[in-house]
Amino acid sequence: MAIECLVLGAGQEVGKSCVVVTINGKRIMFDCGMHMGYDDHRRYPDFSLISKSRDFDHSLDCVIITHFHLDHVGALPYFTEVCGYNGPIYMTYPTKALAPLMLEDFRKVLVDRRGEEEQFTSLHISQCMQKVIAIDLKQTLQVDDELQIRAYYAGHVLGAAMFYAKVGETAMVYTGDYNMTPDRHLGAAQIDRLELDLLITESTYATTIRDSKYAREREFLKAVHECVAGGGKVLIPTFALGRAQELCILLDDYWERMNLKVPIYFSAGLTIQANMYYKILISWTSQKIKETYATRNAFDFKHVHNFDRSLINAPGPCVLFATPGMISGGFSLEVFKQWAPCEMNLITLPGYCVAGTVGHKLMSGKPTKIVLDKDTQIDVRCQIHQLSFSPHTDSKGIMDLARFLSPKNVILVHGEKPKMVSLKERIQSELRIPCYLPANCDTVHIPSTTYVKAHASNAFIRSCLNPNFRFLKRSKEENSDQVLRNTNSTAPLQVNDERVAEGILIMEKGKKARVVHQDDLLLMLRQKKHDIQFGYCCAAQLDNLEETGDRDGALSHSDKCSCLQLLFKELSNYFSGVNIQDLGEHLQVESFQVSVCLKDNCPYRIIDSPRKEAATIFFCCSWSAADEKLAREIISAIERFNLSDNLPCKNSK
Amino acid sequence: MEHHLLHICLQSLKDNNNPPSLQALASLRSLIINPNTSDSTIYSILETLTHSLQLSTNSLTTHHHILKLLTDLASQRTHLSSQILNSIHSSSLLFTESTQIAAESLTSLASFSNSDQNKIDDQLFMSLCFAATSASARLRLLRNGERLGIGTHMLFTVFLGFTKDPYPYVRKASLDGLLGLCKSCDLFEDISVTEGCYCRAVELLQDNEHSVRSAAIRVVCEWGQMLIAAKEGNDKIAQSNQVFVQICSMVRDMSVEVRVEAFNALGKIKLVSEDILLQTISKKVLAILKDKNSHGQCTAERFEILASSYAGAFMHGLEDEFHEVRKSACNSLRIHTILYAEFARRSLSLLMDMLNDDSMAVRLEALEALHHMATFDCLNVQEIHMHMFLGSLLDSCDLIRSTARKIFKLVKLPDLKLFRLSIHGLLQNLERYSKDEADVFSVLFFMGRSHGNFAAHIVKEVSQEIEPVLEGQLGLDSARVAAFLVLAISAPLSQNQNGQIIPPRLFSYAVTLLGRISCALSEVVDQDTLLAYLSQCSRSSTLGAEVEVESLLPVVDDVVLNRTKKDVNNPVEAPMLQTGNETSKVQPVTSCELEYLATSIVECQADELDEVMKSVNLILARVRDAWLLVQSRCTNVALRALRDCKRELAMLTSTSLESSGAMAFTLQYLQVMKLFAKIWEHAVWKIRSNETGGLEYLFGKLDMRLRELRYRYIGFSTEEELYVLELIAVACILRLSKVEISCSPTTMKKLSAIISHIEILNDKGSIEPSNILMDAKKTVHEIESSKAGISCSLFLITNLDDFFTLKQFSLCSRVRHINAELNVPGNDSENPLRFVSGLPVAIPLDITLYNVSSENRLWLTMRMSEESTQFVFLDLNILGGCNEVKKFTFMAPFYRTPKACSFSLWISIGMECALEDCHILKHCGGPRRDLVYLFQEKEVHLCLVRRG
Repeated sequence: MAIECLVLGAGQEVGKSCVVVTINGKRIMFDCGMHMGYDDHRRYPDFSLISKSRDFDHSLDCVIITHFHLDHVGALPYFTEVCGYNGPIYMTYPTKALAPLMLEDFRKVLVDRRGEEEQFTSLHISQCMQKVIAIDLKQTLQVDDELQIRAYYAGHVLGAAMFYAKVGETAMVYTGDYNMTPDRHLGAAQIDRLELDLLITESTYATTIRDSKYAREREFLKAVHECVAGGGKVLIPTFALGRAQELCILLDDYWERMNLKVPIYFSAGLTIQANMYYKILISWTSQKIKETYATRNAFDFKHVHNFDRSLINAPGPCVLFATPGMISGGFSLEVFKQWAPCEMNLITLPGYCVAGTVGHKLMSGKPTKIVLDKDTQIDVRCQIHQLSFSPHTDSKGIMDLARFLSPKNVILVHGEKPKMVSLKERIQSELRIPCYLPANCDTVHIPSTTYVKAHASNAFIRSCLNPNFRFLKRSKEENSDQVLRNTNSTAPLQVNDERVAEGILIMEKGKKARVVHQDDLLLMLRQKKHDIQFGYCCAAQLDNLEETGDRDGALSHSDKCSCLQLLFKELSNYFSGVNIQDLGEHLQVESFQVSVCLKDNCPYRIIDSPRKEAATIFFCCSWSAADEKLAREIISAIERFNLSDNLPCKNSK
Repeated sequence: MEHHLLHICLQSLKDNNNPPSLQALASLRSLIINPNTSDSTIYSILETLTHSLQLSTNSLTTHHHILKLLTDLASQRTHLSSQILNSIHSSSLLFTESTQIAAESLTSLASFSNSDQNKIDDQLFMSLCFAATSASARLRLLRNGERLGIGTHMLFTVFLGFTKDPYPYVRKASLDGLLGLCKSCDLFEDISVTEGCYCRAVELLQDNEHSVRSAAIRVVCEWGQMLIAAKEGNDKIAQSNQVFVQICSMVRDMSVEVRVEAFNALGKIKLVSEDILLQTISKKVLAILKDKNSHGQCTAERFEILASSYAGAFMHGLEDEFHEVRKSACNSLRIHTILYAEFARRSLSLLMDMLNDDSMAVRLEALEALHHMATFDCLNVQEIHMHMFLGSLLDSCDLIRSTARKIFKLVKLPDLKLFRLSIHGLLQNLERYSKDEADVFSVLFFMGRSHGNFAAHIVKEVSQEIEPVLEGQLGLDSARVAAFLVLAISAPLSQNQNGQIIPPRLFSYAVTLLGRISCALSEVVDQDTLLAYLSQCSRSSTLGAEVEVESLLPVVDDVVLNRTKKDVNNPVEAPMLQTGNETSKVQPVTSCELEYLATSIVECQADELDEVMKSVNLILARVRDAWLLVQSRCTNVALRALRDCKRELAMLTSTSLESSGAMAFTLQYLQVMKLFAKIWEHAVWKIRSNETGGLEYLFGKLDMRLRELRYRYIGFSTEEELYVLELIAVACILRLSKVEISCSPTTMKKLSAIISHIEILNDKGSIEPSNILMDAKKTVHEIESSKAGISCSLFLITNLDDFFTLKQFSLCSRVRHINAELNVPGNDSENPLRFVSGLPVAIPLDITLYNVSSENRLWLTMRMSEESTQFVFLDLNILGGCNEVKKFTFMAPFYRTPKACSFSLWISIGMECALEDCHILKHCGGPRRDLVYLFQEKEVHLCLVRRG
């Protein structure tokens, strides 16, 4: 069994996220986005790769959408209504509510402003949305008998989720876009520790490590406060969803604390409508908002009022939120024209502006004049403050998530290639997890864990129920005394619970696999338990023996004893810390036994003919596998001994 | 009714074939928990239950119910508990096949008795643990392990083994058990055992269950600290770093509980290398650290991996979504900020940003951390911080504002610009919240005094605003003007106020606001002193009066600083508790600990005695500062400071006799200084000169304390002994200087004796005699030569001032405390000793003597009333020599038993003051010299033997 991962979009690029994953035969499409940078066929993922016959209903088991951004949901109406996919589509409740708004808005822009041919109609959008099944956070949904999916909170935008999918024992997580640090209105991504074969994660900021957001907040508040304190007006062009709410909560809170009376305005339109969604979907916001919800809805801003066009030139300071974010047109441009020429005023710019917009011009250097068209010129004398809030996680966040989940494989999508390469290297070297960066239309094959069901015998189950721990003591030398030890350093004292180790897996042809207890096995096989003993007959030199002993080498009983005693003495001297027992016929150390060998051709002897010039005495040794190391040490010691040195006193008589 | 109910129940229970019905058991329970149920009924219930407990036919649930009933019974009728205990013990339950039942029985045992009562066999416990197939039984056993009185080693083995259990709750219970065991750490002398346990906990940090992970963090922290304690020198810091880094790896956990636990633990690790700390507040791996490591042990790559595991740990904590985590992170950060300047500088920016947090508790915690830094003089505010910092002065929450102002009192600003910004912020605070006036004034006063130059600048700038307009109308009701005046009057008190002249008329303006200002500054000066100071300054046309000014109001910065240092714990922590659900679980660190900590980097190997001595000397140094307050007539403030010292002293713990000697000495010294302070008020400032009686009382008490100081401690160095003697001399001089008290010859005699003694010591140690003694000596000679009743007011008290100011007393030798403990075993008002009127009675006494040598003459005093005291000489030679600690039982005879039904004796042990003059004996056989008592009198109750 394996996981097969086909990347249709966002492979080594940002835009049109779409990944088709096949797990144990089940096919899931994660996200169905469009690329905003292209107008041709590259705008949509190449769906034909999924099925040549374009029979998507049979080739896909489900589609999962992580959040409502167009690069994640933009191609969905096209896929369902034009390409004809009719299978289930899953997304969270807020995404289901907000996605049609975004799609409709986009369609209008395409058709109304650019005059392009529309790819899908409003009807398509609403029909597509009817096929959507909404899912709640941490709700486990059984798509069919085998496929299970679950959504986890991802931060990023309202309703964004990471998805967990499991078929059989193979499991994976697709993160979509996520944020590991909370902001004022959304929480940080939150997921359980899962056993995963694969993690597919975004990597927008694959190399950036962001500093504390508090510094940015502080600068923003300081700029705004100083401006209004000086009687100026502040224009905050924002996108309708997300940033506007975050900044507004920040300001509202600050106003409340500082007891400021300067009015904050929201321009009418989408922003107000979006606020309504936020108010309904409280459970998808940050902890703080959820906590205070009982007393006050944080989106019922205390200091925020609706803006009226007549207020543009009203005297006195104020703060205004207006769409669109990049001052590309609309109300924010209208206000900008009025306020830009005054030094007291302040314009804040979002982190990213598309080239060609007023926002982009303001960001690149500080122009004194902006030419809108040949009739309109705007003097820019106001202050400009650049915001750099981003709802994506930084590289540290990606690493932290990967470290926490410890999946068996990682695939990076939704990023720029050079940065992804460096992140891939970090994941492989620091976390030791294989990592892949497929390009669009590439397929990655990943082996997955295979599980075999096995019967367990009663004895095995019983032995599993009872604790059976033992302590192992490691020798000190193995411990490195580094200043900073790795997290998985070897402990000097280890606890082992060998319940499972006592089981034996039996796989016979044609029968189901079984796990039995050690004792069962003997019964089953009608065999007795055997212990492995090692034997070795080693020679020790005995120079002076010829003076008294028989020349032919046969030792008498008393000689045998004295030899053994000599050996005992030598060994005791040599291995001072080891407990050596003298049991008359043989010496014993742990399971190691040594006795004098009198046989002429002992089967354990390797040198079969003793050298004649020096008398040699043989010791037969036996030991069990556990004491292998000790035995080798003792034997090499015996072979090195020259017992003669200690003999003379007795022999001189 | 009761009997009826009982009858039915018992019938049902006695039916051996059927298990008792639930209904019957429920009725029994109602009987048991009813306090009015008669004893006989209870007994029969107990009997029946005990009986049915033995039955083997019972099912598991029945056993469960019966055990529950017995437990209830034991808790309701405590006198029966031992009986119930026995019945459970004797029942075969503990040895049954079903470990479930056995475990439950053990749990019930543990629930109503303490550990020594129900010591169960270690073997039994072990076998139960191993036999317990159900996780819940194991859980019960592990949770009650400690209460069942199992041996520590056995428990340790079991706990450690069960950390491998497949059930997370069992793993958690065993970790909790290990945590509990670490208190009895002396049992584990073998460091490898500690290490093994620590490493096992480290492994469990990766557990899948969050409750296990957080328990593992606690174990890693506590056992890690044991490991740290066991290491010496550089190893100690290395170990400390290792534990710290280990816990840092948990701060990115997905569970809030685990994160909070991790940050709590981070705050407990005290010594961490600076480079590691610096890395924890930067998410990027710092380049400097890489360089530093280049000659270290790890390869560059490995180091980077390691560093990235704890990089930005605190940053993440401060950015966390949950305020509990942020708060805990702030608290831990605070512990570490004071150790390294660079770390303090960098973490300051983070803490300043926390002032913008949306949770009040977090903001307060951040301010608290800043205050802590300011106290330890490592708060270097930069301009970039000012916006947030000043913002907290305008916060809508009172508590935040007052805590912020507390920091401003201590803060040291580098330049005029920041000073101006701060003053502006304070004025805005005043403008917006007029109720803060007093506190703002006080802050301005403190700030002006510590930044005299800047304050003078500001005052010069705004003098236009202060000056009355043409019509002579002063804008004095404006709080703003009053604030500037406070700033103006504080400037001359500054040390770095060089040449900037405050126009004297400003002082006279300030006089008109005397009430308002003195009320705000009541903590620092009283109204009279302030008035004196203001009028003095307003008269002098130039600041040539500077010297006088200082003598008038020499409020020294250190004193204030010391005082506020002690405030670290109390005033802010207390309101913290009121914030309800956001209360901190983190223990506040006492200032003593912190002071120790600040120096401990250098001397982490110092032994316990040295630590105590160090703390003691810190306290002694403060006494001197407090004395400066006495001289500036702020007696109440001084007394408060002394009391704080005492409180702090009480917080020190001593384990050895030597350190407890030093502490006892310091306590005594503090008491003496308190008395001196009080007497000074009478005798020198003459504030309450008409209360001669009170003064006499104070003198009496002082004499006694000084005598104790002199005789109850041994092992003084010459300097220390000299100092004590000089204190006695000063007391004599003070007494003599008081005209109202007759210039008694005894005091004169005592003084001359002391002086000659001091001279001997001076000669011996070739030390210059102090001025005060030279003067005293001269005067004593004059008086003695004249032999007439010359007024003793000849003594010049001015020198006395210098005595306390100049002499910095510190304790360096190992002082031992002569002490005694006395007990009358088994005697109280309920159980009096019996006596027969007119016949002697023997009183058995358990006496423990500390540091008494055979030269000391000890007397047992037995006082029945004021007049009749009986002395018994304790001959130490007969009682068997002297040791450092000597324990013995002594039968004290009391002869004059009165004709009364009962009476009380007050028993004490006194020691003769060897160097004091002999007195004329009052009682035959009594002591010849004055006694110092070694402990408070003990009351012994006696009662007449009843006849028949």
